Amino acid sequence: MNTPRRQFLRYAGLSLWFALGVAHAAGNDAAQTLQPLAKPFVAPDFTLPDDDGNTHRLSDYRGKVVVLNFWATWCPPCRYEMPSMERAHKKIQGEQIVLLAINVGESEDRVFEFTGQYPVTFPLLLDTEGAIIKKYPVIGLPTTFVIDPRGVVTHRAIGGREWDDEQLLARLRRLLKP
Amino acid sequence: MSENKLARTMAAFFSPANRPALFAVGLLLVLPPVAAVVNTGTDDEARLPFWEIAGQEVSIRLVQRLPDQTRGFFQARGFSVADSELIAQGCVFQTVFKNLSPATEPVRIEYDLREWVVHAAGAQHGMKTREDWKKIWTARRAPQAARLAFEWGLLPTRQTYGPGDYNWGMSVFGLAPGTPFELDVVWYQNGERRAVRVQGMRCAADVHPAP
Repeated sequence: MNTPRRQFLRYAGLSLWFALGVAHAAGNDAAQTLQPLAKPFVAPDFTLPDDDGNTHRLSDYRGKVVVLNFWATWCPPCRYEMPSMERAHKKIQGEQIVLLAINVGESEDRVFEFTGQYPVTFPLLLDTEGAIIKKYPVIGLPTTFVIDPRGVVTHRAIGGREWDDEQLLARLRRLLKP
Repeated sequence: MSENKLARTMAAFFSPANRPALFAVGLLLVLPPVAAVVNTGTDDEARLPFWEIAGQEVSIRLVQRLPDQTRGFFQARGFSVADSELIAQGCVFQTVFKNLSPATEPVRIEYDLREWVVHAAGAQHGMKTREDWKKIWTARRAPQAARLAFEWGLLPTRQTYGPGDYNWGMSVFGLAPGTPFELDVVWYQNGERRAVRVQGMRCAADVHPAP
């Protein structure tokens, strides 16, 4: 699945991705908040393919903090936050924190095309039928849930965030401590 | 200042002639500050007119969308020409709803689109929601991918925002292109109802460039 054409397209978009990320970060005055849930709940399990043909089961990530993002390519704030998710992914390499972004209702080809402009190295999962998003209390895109190492959804963010923000990452790291 | 002089000054200050001004100052002190103002202009990104309710804790920006943009968007997501035309001819705006309150002084912001009212040509009607559209797409047998894009592309019917939360979503006002209208926008801040009538709004015209 990682053909030279696919790799070329992913990295050809790097400049655009970087420029958009910097431009958006400069103009973003929103607080980098995570809302603690009044009623934390056990994360509904799922198994989904990613855009590289690998399969991911949520429960396989038990013991780690999972940042579970629901998004679509046509959603502007979803696109805006993608570069910061990639930067966050690079910052947390080697830590017990993973990012999973579930695309809602689009084809693998559409997501592949998107990664030509927004190259990311964390898994982009495909919920082509929109079945998994219905298991979570999502009302608008993007919505991101934070799942603690026990598999419990503890926090939520509606709308985009700058995911590489140090304070936000510190909150994720705190969830790793028992 | 002698006691006599002070007494004379106080008497002059509270004289009947000054009472209207004193009443106005008193009102300013007891009334809550103005909750929100409405700004208009051209959206930097869309290059189209916007109307924005701007308060300390909330921002609700409604940006015109051209019918052609809407046609293109929904046809690319699998809608038929007829179905995408139905949406495009319905006066679509992009709505950006933000909770601006800081985490240190959090304000819970909620809305329900079923409380919003569209006023045009002496008549009024409510907003058509995701749930209303779902019935339409089922009846018209729109493809699943198209329905998903429409459902998630529309501004949610109801939402609750904490500090830093926001949504972008399309709103369909059910009016012909180019129609002027007013919109009653209702939301709640920590349970307290707020309402603003946005005046002078207009659906984008359906412009067909000459061949």
